[in-house]
Amino acid sequence: MFNIETIRLLVLAVLFAPVAFAALVAIAGLSGYRVARRVASLGALLHLGMTVALAVPSVFVLMDRVGLETKAIKAPREFQPIFVPGDPSLDSGSYETTWNLFTVANGPSELPPSAIQFFVGIDGLNIWLVVLASVMTYIAVLVSHGSIRERAGGYYAWLFLLQSAIIGAFLSFDIVLFYIFFELTLIPAFFLIGCWGTGGGRRDAARKFFLYTLLGSLFTLVGIFGIVLTNPTPVSPNSPSKHQYMILANSKGQILFPKAGPVTFSISKLMQNVSTWNRTHAEKLNRATLLRIEATTAFEKANGKDPKIVQQAEAELKRADVEFQTVKTDRDDYKSLQYWLFFALIAGFVVKVPLVPFHTWLPATYSEAPVAVTLLFTGILAKLGTLGLIRIVIPLCPDMAVQQGLPVFGFLGALGIVYAAFCAYAQRDLKMLAAYSSVSHLGLLVLGTFTLTAEGLTGAALHMVNHGLTAGAMFALIGFLAERYRTTDMNQYSGLIGRFPKYAFWMFVICLASVGLPGLNNFISEMLLISALFTPETTQAVGYGFGVAAASGIFLSAWYTMTMLRKVFFGPLLLPPQPTAVPPRDMQPHEWVAFGLPAILCLILGVFPQPVIQSMRSDVNIIVRQTDEARARLETEKSLSR
Amino acid sequence: MLDPSTPIGMALIAAVLPLAGAVLAGLLACVRLGRFAHLPAILSFASASVISAVVLAGVAEGHDSLSISTDLGTWFSVGRLNVSFAFLLDPLSLIMLATVTFIATFIAVFSAGYMHGDPGYARYFSIMSLFVFAMCLLVMSNNFFMLLAGWEGVGLCSYLLVGYYYAKPSAAAAARKAFLVTRLGDVGLVLGIFLLWQVGGYETNFDAIFAHIAQYPPASGTITTICLLLFCGAIGKSAQLPLYVWLPDAMEGPTPVSALIHAATMVTAGVFLLARCAPLFVLSPEAGLIVACIGGATALLAGFLALAQNDLKRVLAYSTVSQLGFMFLALGCNGVISPKVAVVAAMFHLFTHAFFKALLFLGSGSVMHAMGNVIDMRKFGGLRKLMPWTHATFVIGSAALAGVPLLSGFWSKDQILHGLLEAGESHAKYHTMYFGLFAVALATACLTAFYTFRAYFLTFWGNERTPPEAHGHAHESPAIMLVPLVVLAAGALFVGVLVDPLTHWFGHFLERSPSITEAHTGYLAHSNMIEKPHEFSWFVAGLSTLAVAVGIGGATALYRRGGPEKVPPALKGLYSLSLNKLYVDETYGIAVVKPAEMLATTGRQFDGFLDAITRLITYLPRLIAALLRPLHNGLVQFYALGMVLGLAVFLTVVVFRSAR
Repeated sequence: MFNIETIRLLVLAVLFAPVAFAALVAIAGLSGYRVARRVASLGALLHLGMTVALAVPSVFVLMDRVGLETKAIKAPREFQPIFVPGDPSLDSGSYETTWNLFTVANGPSELPPSAIQFFVGIDGLNIWLVVLASVMTYIAVLVSHGSIRERAGGYYAWLFLLQSAIIGAFLSFDIVLFYIFFELTLIPAFFLIGCWGTGGGRRDAARKFFLYTLLGSLFTLVGIFGIVLTNPTPVSPNSPSKHQYMILANSKGQILFPKAGPVTFSISKLMQNVSTWNRTHAEKLNRATLLRIEATTAFEKANGKDPKIVQQAEAELKRADVEFQTVKTDRDDYKSLQYWLFFALIAGFVVKVPLVPFHTWLPATYSEAPVAVTLLFTGILAKLGTLGLIRIVIPLCPDMAVQQGLPVFGFLGALGIVYAAFCAYAQRDLKMLAAYSSVSHLGLLVLGTFTLTAEGLTGAALHMVNHGLTAGAMFALIGFLAERYRTTDMNQYSGLIGRFPKYAFWMFVICLASVGLPGLNNFISEMLLISALFTPETTQAVGYGFGVAAASGIFLSAWYTMTMLRKVFFGPLLLPPQPTAVPPRDMQPHEWVAFGLPAILCLILGVFPQPVIQSMRSDVNIIVRQTDEARARLETEKSLSR
Repeated sequence: MLDPSTPIGMALIAAVLPLAGAVLAGLLACVRLGRFAHLPAILSFASASVISAVVLAGVAEGHDSLSISTDLGTWFSVGRLNVSFAFLLDPLSLIMLATVTFIATFIAVFSAGYMHGDPGYARYFSIMSLFVFAMCLLVMSNNFFMLLAGWEGVGLCSYLLVGYYYAKPSAAAAARKAFLVTRLGDVGLVLGIFLLWQVGGYETNFDAIFAHIAQYPPASGTITTICLLLFCGAIGKSAQLPLYVWLPDAMEGPTPVSALIHAATMVTAGVFLLARCAPLFVLSPEAGLIVACIGGATALLAGFLALAQNDLKRVLAYSTVSQLGFMFLALGCNGVISPKVAVVAAMFHLFTHAFFKALLFLGSGSVMHAMGNVIDMRKFGGLRKLMPWTHATFVIGSAALAGVPLLSGFWSKDQILHGLLEAGESHAKYHTMYFGLFAVALATACLTAFYTFRAYFLTFWGNERTPPEAHGHAHESPAIMLVPLVVLAAGALFVGVLVDPLTHWFGHFLERSPSITEAHTGYLAHSNMIEKPHEFSWFVAGLSTLAVAVGIGGATALYRRGGPEKVPPALKGLYSLSLNKLYVDETYGIAVVKPAEMLATTGRQFDGFLDAITRLITYLPRLIAALLRPLHNGLVQFYALGMVLGLAVFLTVVVFRSAR
């Protein structure tokens, strides 16, 4: 149907084309901002075309993935990216790459060396984010049309570099590569805020953003190395030539536990390793516990009988006890290590999302940054945090995600929904209102994610796309006013329906999408996220409180949004003093595209979300399988320890 | 998909037509043909109502349970949450569909005259069509999520229509209030839906959920919680206590919009929801009692508030709240008495109420049109000569609303009263409470008759007065506005007596709805009552006639000569309470709105505080540096001392460790 090699090239093109555009636009910028913005919008449009060309075959492949139901025996335990450049096999793919960036150590010759790889690929979780990144960058370029005139070449160049770094992080399946791209986003973001920001405190805001998120992600770096070092590839205890991920039973039915092999940086392999080590520890512990129970009963039975038998039983019991203690210490060590690694790993992501109370970099940044940059921040950069949760934190620390996720981070998410909604209501600036509204919606996303159910994770993956579209479009729409009147202070506007009816129409559509009106996109993902809070997995763990908090978001989001609409769009006309001699006009052609495109996508995703859901299903089920196993493991341990 | 050869295919076509009308009206505006925007709306409503009448005629005969469902593919489906575009055609949805489209047709015709020449003409008709579409979607849905789509859709359209005159601050405030107050109820509805999803075997379609609940009944506490949460949604949408406050304010929209909201779409949604979920409510007598009590309290309170209003439309608005309370009174009996009586009575009242309430609102719109958009009854009076047609139809509507015997309102109210009395006489758990509610209902009926005729006399009797805004050429409305009035008046006169008391067609048809048959099965399983045939009771009819007579008599005695207001001195206090709407809005403002706003401001300030803490943490390195800086003082002797001391400590430790 299509040539796989071409599509693999297309993956690379989607990733690196923005770098080329950046160089081009930087040169074009020398001859004025008009040339720069033309080149930039053409480049962004071209990129959108390439992304669509990539997305179409990917979605077809992803939707047809079979045998990936959670309950299927042969279901994979690891992410299986398709269209991986450098994949040795030609046809469907081996979900691996041979492109090593940096070889750390050579292990046994049969095993691939421990190497940081250039491992990028497509799966159900990232393909839609890549499309989103492409769409949002195009919109960002369009809304910068009139507002950026100084050093436009540099501005667009940094914008493209930001896009490239974000897409790189979306596509990475190597944990170090992911981290590199993740951090690379900081540099363009820093310059975009610091040099092209609108407010007086832009340098301070840029510094704050840079340091705060860097601090968070340094913890993540520690976590990444911890995870890599504690989860080496398991190898069979008997023959060093074989590596596998299963706990083996030999021909006599004895269970053979694996030994530690070389370390790996591939997220897919790390997932397998984490799963194997967890199961190994748990299995050992369960066996030791059972043995001890058996020995205890044997000892009790022997009581009062032949002293020889008693002695023997006692010795047996002692041995079982020692064995149990060793294994238990092992398991506890592994678990407490996982505990710390979980919190270290998640630190960078919760700052990036941001989750209340780690959101304080956001108000300053959003109010100082140019509108287009804010759009990219909330539309796609925030998704690095949420994707990090789903791609790295949960699969690599499944036990802790089950144990700590909902009580700690679910709670922060629920708190964020309510707290940020109240903060949003009290804002006087449109940008700040949109910023806090974004925090509130992302709180719901994180809360739903940590239910670790198919409904919640799918809802989260879908909400990333939906929230990106609506929150991004909201900032684009605010840019309309910022460009014309140089202010986004709500008190200076009133009755805009009469003055800008076409603009008001699009604003209403996006606002309604944002409050979760059925038929528009956010409704679907919000329903999925809330439903996840009513599954028995969740209600048994934390009751119904989080469900109530999430549902209250339905009202709260309407509360601040409708109040904003009343203030700004209804009532008698009031406008700030216009900065130009010519009165500003309603929608310009490029704005029709910038506002219409996301609005139409919102409608399509609201009515026909199933293809998107279908293409995510197999990958969500991979994670659910991991967490279901972790949940079962923890349940067994709990019941055995009693 | 939309196969016209099957009843449900036809019904779906009828439901989708208004959507096409909405799109077409919007497109007309884009090509500067906005002045023709009423055509797609009227045509689509009219053809939809003809189609639904044809469907109705096609399935009206027979005694079997009637329920045709169809599934037009998946909407979204993940894990245990599987939602499809599922539609259901049963007597309940069919009657709603027919009523909605029929009433909407005439409201649209009236609007074409009323809104003539308005700059937002196309916008008006486009949103109105969308409104009707959303309502059709709501009644045709076969699962809670489709229902929610229609439910929120009507909420949105009412928001847009109430805020139609966007430049008016009061309209903007009313629109926001309508949306937010109903949304508050929706939080409960959504919680109820998901709780039901959890205990209902993860089903989303109505029939599947009810079947699952019937087979595996959950704990009675759970089912009561679910019922009450669902009822929260109905409280918001159908303007019951304590969330009724949005409906009187919703008068800010154009008057035909009020007719639409009060008669056909929007507020009836809550009643429909409870009728649809009758199989659940049958299982929980506690929930039933609470529904009935809230309905009764709302009916009485709204009736009281309607007594002293000076705004004609506001009187009608409170009367809607009160009449909706009646419907919930009936629904609250569901389970205590057979749903075949309770739910049918509520739906019957909804049906007849749609006719006379639409009529009254359109009539008041006609008055308003003539009076230059003035609706304050103190500013005009004695209009019966000036506007003979409006007067004639208005008096019919008032009589029907008041429940004058033989008019349609009388029959439906009689069924409700009869149901309440029967509930009181039953041996169910809380049966004595229903006697009290019966008395409340009777008192409300009396109040209804009084305030309706007070408004009627103040408007049409006494000396002829017109406000200055009418510029002295107040006139009867054009034919395009009078025809709908006449048609609806005919409905108000005859529809009640034709469809039920004489033929019992309405009840028998509605009983074939699976919601009601299932509820009836549940009712029989839970109560050991022998089903009594529903008979006309002269006692109830006599009492209600007496109440109406007292009400109308009082109004005639006081207001026969039109305005101004005459209040017996003893009742001055009560009058001012009613006039000031019991200060409910003010109380809510102080008790809920202000605290929430203050909380928001506190939240914003706290956020600044959080930021300060973060900043403080960033000063930590600098602080540590400041502490350590004195050590680097540049004195070689100091460094040497440090070295020696350090070495000494190190050696001591080494020595002690090895010695141990």
